[in-house]
Amino acid sequence: MTPVLGSISLSLALGISAVSILLFSLFLKSEDYRFYLAGWRAALSVSVLSILATFFLLNELLISNFDIKYVAHYTSLETPTFYKITALWAGQSGSLLFWLFILSVYSLIVLAQYKNSFTKLMPWVSIVLVAVQSFFLILVNFVENPFSPTDADFVVVNGNGLNPLLQNLTMAIHPPTLYLGYVGFTVPFAFAIAALVTKDTGSLWVRSIRRWTLIAWLFQSGGIILGGWWAYQELGWGGYWAWDPVENASFMPWLTGTAFLHSIIIQEKKGMLKTWNMILILLTFTLCIFGTFLTRSGVMSSVHSFAVSNLGPVFLGFIAILLVVCTFLIIIRFPILKSEKQIESFTSRESGFLFNNVIFCVICFAVFWGTIFPVLSEAIRGEKITVGAPFFNQVNVPIGLMLLFLTGVGPLLVWRRTSKEAFIKNFTIPVLTGLVIFVFCFSMGLRNATLISFPLCGFVTMAILIEFQRGIKSRVTRFNESFLGALKMLISKNRSRYGGYIVHLGIMFMFIGFSGNAFDSETEFAIKTGETKEFGGYNFELVNIQPIERPNHIAWIAGLNVWNFHHELVTTLFPEKRVYFYKDPNPDKRQPHSELDIYSTLNKDIYSIFSGVDMEQQIAYLKIMINPLVWWVWFGGYVLIFGTMISLWPAKDSE
Amino acid sequence: MNKKKVTITIIALSFLAFAWIGYITLNPDQENPGMIRFLSLADIQTVNQTERIRLGGLVSPGTILVSEQNLLECKFHLEQGEHTVPVQFIGTRPDLFKDEAEVIVEGIFVDGLFKADQLQTKCASRYEGDLRDESSYKSEAI
Repeated sequence: MTPVLGSISLSLALGISAVSILLFSLFLKSEDYRFYLAGWRAALSVSVLSILATFFLLNELLISNFDIKYVAHYTSLETPTFYKITALWAGQSGSLLFWLFILSVYSLIVLAQYKNSFTKLMPWVSIVLVAVQSFFLILVNFVENPFSPTDADFVVVNGNGLNPLLQNLTMAIHPPTLYLGYVGFTVPFAFAIAALVTKDTGSLWVRSIRRWTLIAWLFQSGGIILGGWWAYQELGWGGYWAWDPVENASFMPWLTGTAFLHSIIIQEKKGMLKTWNMILILLTFTLCIFGTFLTRSGVMSSVHSFAVSNLGPVFLGFIAILLVVCTFLIIIRFPILKSEKQIESFTSRESGFLFNNVIFCVICFAVFWGTIFPVLSEAIRGEKITVGAPFFNQVNVPIGLMLLFLTGVGPLLVWRRTSKEAFIKNFTIPVLTGLVIFVFCFSMGLRNATLISFPLCGFVTMAILIEFQRGIKSRVTRFNESFLGALKMLISKNRSRYGGYIVHLGIMFMFIGFSGNAFDSETEFAIKTGETKEFGGYNFELVNIQPIERPNHIAWIAGLNVWNFHHELVTTLFPEKRVYFYKDPNPDKRQPHSELDIYSTLNKDIYSIFSGVDMEQQIAYLKIMINPLVWWVWFGGYVLIFGTMISLWPAKDSE
Repeated sequence: MNKKKVTITIIALSFLAFAWIGYITLNPDQENPGMIRFLSLADIQTVNQTERIRLGGLVSPGTILVSEQNLLECKFHLEQGEHTVPVQFIGTRPDLFKDEAEVIVEGIFVDGLFKADQLQTKCASRYEGDLRDESSYKSEAI
């Protein structure tokens, strides 16, 4: 019964979304408030119905109703209950429904929050939200219906089951987090369009969407970091970022969103860069849709893509409409987006923000270029080309270092113009710190990009610490507070600023981790039990290989002792080779999987992958990697999330 | 500082950035190129010996030979229609690597032998596949 209810909810929601848009349009024409109210209620029902449909699908997944194609494809009777829930976003149509679900939740919040305020903006905000919802409703109704029945002329006894790679706690959290980010940008997008249409482009709308953008940005950042963490823990190639098209797809809106969060500060404080901010937020949303398109259409092969589908043209059509509408609005509203002031000097904080924006956009373009290059190359020259990580690293490392440099410079610059005295006063200590680290790194024999990145990290840290120290010192003398008390008050009085600095610290820690990449090393060997192999300053001794049977797979566990050259046992690693569905009579349907084991410390990770096993001869095929400083990437991630939360936390006395 | 100066600076910077991206696109790092051509077996004879390329095809049945000295080393024939190319691969072989598996190899083509250091099997994913095969077994048996 419920599958029918699910389909009906989705169809109804699509119909009502059209009605809702119509009602809002009537309100705009007649100014009759009853139309607005009716439209508002219709918009509410669209969201409620979409959310209901999601719960209906969830129910089917939980009761394993294999009559539904989606359920049969992504779960089986053996799938643990928790992963039956996460299967909701494991496949194509389910994840589209999930997109819609999150958008509907956001919509409900916006509709409720601003029901009676922003009367001028709200009809347009609602129209945009409902329009985006209706696009996804069209997809789940006509292109990829999650409730479509199993197209088989036999009874499906059991489903396919969820890919073991996805049976992982991180993988359960990563997609929803990223989706909350992607979808979250719809709200500032809706406000931006509404502001453009109603010509209300003052700084009021800016303030109201800043928090929304920050929320979306928080989830987007968290989602990207979790994805890296998952790749590092599960995929077993020893890295966390491969410049895979879909990773790039999530990175591009993050870059423009970050640029927006910075340049919006100038608009708020100085009334400048209005056109630019509009472009940034509209672009960010378009890139979010483009990202969803890359992930879902299968136009690029990647770990993330599902099978090739016919979603492509529909998405491309939507992106084309977005681009046309946005460009048109910006052009006709260009005159009212004029800056109230001008940049006065290169050494002002304004120009610091401006350079920061240029750099973010350049990185975004470089990533975009590398991502679509294979498609362009094949279309224009008929030559198949793959663009790999070396290209992206080569292009982005120098640009990234400039960005890191600006992270330190920005806070030291003063609004309007930095005087010579202030320049010397602010820069002396950070620059000296950087120089000392540079000399140290040089004498240690570093000759690659890390010779620049480590000193820059020192420079940035010192610049931020000085900002904190200055703020604390002035509070201590002015209000006679204790050091910690002053720190607490300083942050709580100016959350967005100091939260931002903490985010910068997090980014700096992550850069330390990225720099570690330059020193990665790896080896592969076949090793018999009892043998020892030497690599990277360690001896690896294979103690045994133990087979073990678990509920849904069989595993061979390698006991691998790691000794340092002083004959001390560093750790014992237990990487596993697993086979899921090992009793399946068809060997092609068995699903092998390597579960790796990592020994992680502040200065390096020892990363072991059990890639193959020969039980007769007691041979294990192992891949060992030594990855320095990876720990700092995750630590920086935590700091970044923490800083963003501080920025987001509402102030005690209402602003 | 006037508006013109700002605009000129931004344009100059963007121009520099485009030039940089273009430069890297046209002059990739020779040892570790970011852009790799994906060729068909028919075109392979014309390739320069130093260029890293990718090939795709099927593993010819019965041609996989694992070296006895180095268990990580193996040789096999890659076929694509009528064309075949001998491949040498050193590294851990993926689980799904076997006769008639669809593989992608990356490396250099030297004197009629393709020396690969990367080998991926195209995963015959059970998760996108036909349901008929899965339903042929009973859940109790798993």
